[in-house]
Amino acid sequence: MRLNLVIELRDAPGQLVSVLEPLGSTGVNIVTVIHERDREYGPVVPVQLTVEGDRETLDAAIGRLQEQGVNIIEMDGAPLREKFTTILIGDIAEGDLQETVEAVNSVQGASVLDLSLRMSEGRSAARITVEAEHGSRDEVLRRINEAAMERNLLLVSEV
Amino acid sequence: MRICLVGLGAVGQGFLRAVQMKGEYLRERYGLDIRFTGVADSSGALHDPDGLDIRGILEHKKRAGLGSHPSGYDGMTGDELLDEAEYDCLVEATPTNIEDGEPGRSLVLKAMGDGKHVVTSNKGHLALFYSELMEAASEAGVEFMFEASVGGAMPIINLARETLASCTIESVIGILNGTTNFILSRMASEGSSYRQALIEAQELGIAETNPAQDVEGTDAACKAVIIANSILGRPCTLRDVRVEGITGITQGAIELAAQEGYLIKLIAEISGDRLEVGPRLVRMGSPYAVDGTLNMATLRTDLAGEVTAVGRGAGSLETASAMLTDTITIWRKSGGR
Repeated sequence: MRLNLVIELRDAPGQLVSVLEPLGSTGVNIVTVIHERDREYGPVVPVQLTVEGDRETLDAAIGRLQEQGVNIIEMDGAPLREKFTTILIGDIAEGDLQETVEAVNSVQGASVLDLSLRMSEGRSAARITVEAEHGSRDEVLRRINEAAMERNLLLVSEV
Repeated sequence: MRICLVGLGAVGQGFLRAVQMKGEYLRERYGLDIRFTGVADSSGALHDPDGLDIRGILEHKKRAGLGSHPSGYDGMTGDELLDEAEYDCLVEATPTNIEDGEPGRSLVLKAMGDGKHVVTSNKGHLALFYSELMEAASEAGVEFMFEASVGGAMPIINLARETLASCTIESVIGILNGTTNFILSRMASEGSSYRQALIEAQELGIAETNPAQDVEGTDAACKAVIIANSILGRPCTLRDVRVEGITGITQGAIELAAQEGYLIKLIAEISGDRLEVGPRLVRMGSPYAVDGTLNMATLRTDLAGEVTAVGRGAGSLETASAMLTDTITIWRKSGGR
């Protein structure tokens, strides 16, 4: 079976080879590589890859890319989604959570997957797990942060 | 090499002990013979161009300040000592002062003005007056080294500037305060509250009686400023850092994080557009998941990818090791004369 990927690479010498070599070593057959360097993208360039292999080999290939820290932005034409977690701490009222969820939903394609609350030391902590389209994470975090600052809550986000 | 040491707290005493322990090693390996020609603490000073008796000073310091030492000058300040003593390099280990950087700032400037090299473990003057100090050093044509001011024994300043000299450092993200890392580690492993973990840290001597500089993030912020200036070439001072400490972290938050495979750590993030210290979520098993009082820093570079250093962020001999390394570097740079 074939899989179409769009990955992001830094526009620096050797970047493409450093991704293709380990990819090839997983046993996957690299069918096409489209590397549009002539367009102005800034420091990262999208690269379209078509790879071929059985399910297991393809999984191994994707695992290898992720291990290398390569950003996969599209898989078979659909934008890749990413999950991330933040924690809010403070005097959290019910309305605060409602508004934080709305802040997340206001970003196209983003939604809250999970919300958990824990009381201790007289304060609440809320864990919010968000799923969003690849690349919109910073925008979601910015809006959560705005909502948190307005309510004087401490936001703990991923490094 | 003749050394004048000002500041005889844990770090200053550690430096004396380290030189004592490594005397023969330094002579054999580097041809470096360290002689202390002046030593000062807050009560007084000693000086002797032929070299002071270190063992005697360390013994005396266990009981009292240098002012009451048999050959000590009661009440002599570090500043006055620099006028009296004959020396090649000032080792400055006075306490960090984030209000005006004194007395460290004046001592460092005076030594440089007199054409002496300087090694420091102090963060205050660097976090407030980095550019001024660098200019003074370059004008005077002397070496100014401060590895010990960030992360104790964890190599970072020299790692970035010497070992990774071919690379542009794009960002540094790390844990730069051992006390808060200990508190957060204990909250995660023992299920204790922030308050309980802080008291435990104080009982073990890891946190100070007034822990504000550590738990409010100021200490880490000072180090972030030093990294921003010296490694990223980004001029800034303490006022430019967005700082949030760990006093608001609850046990509930730690538990919620752990359920999803995260730890909460006090993280400093320094890049072209970021200069902040605050609690963040890090993945268990990631390079950020260091325990106890350890410090760590991940440097993102253009050529070498990511490089991570881990090491003891505090401790008398550990911090002194960084100062002694800087001293050796100065000795080698000046041709081992």
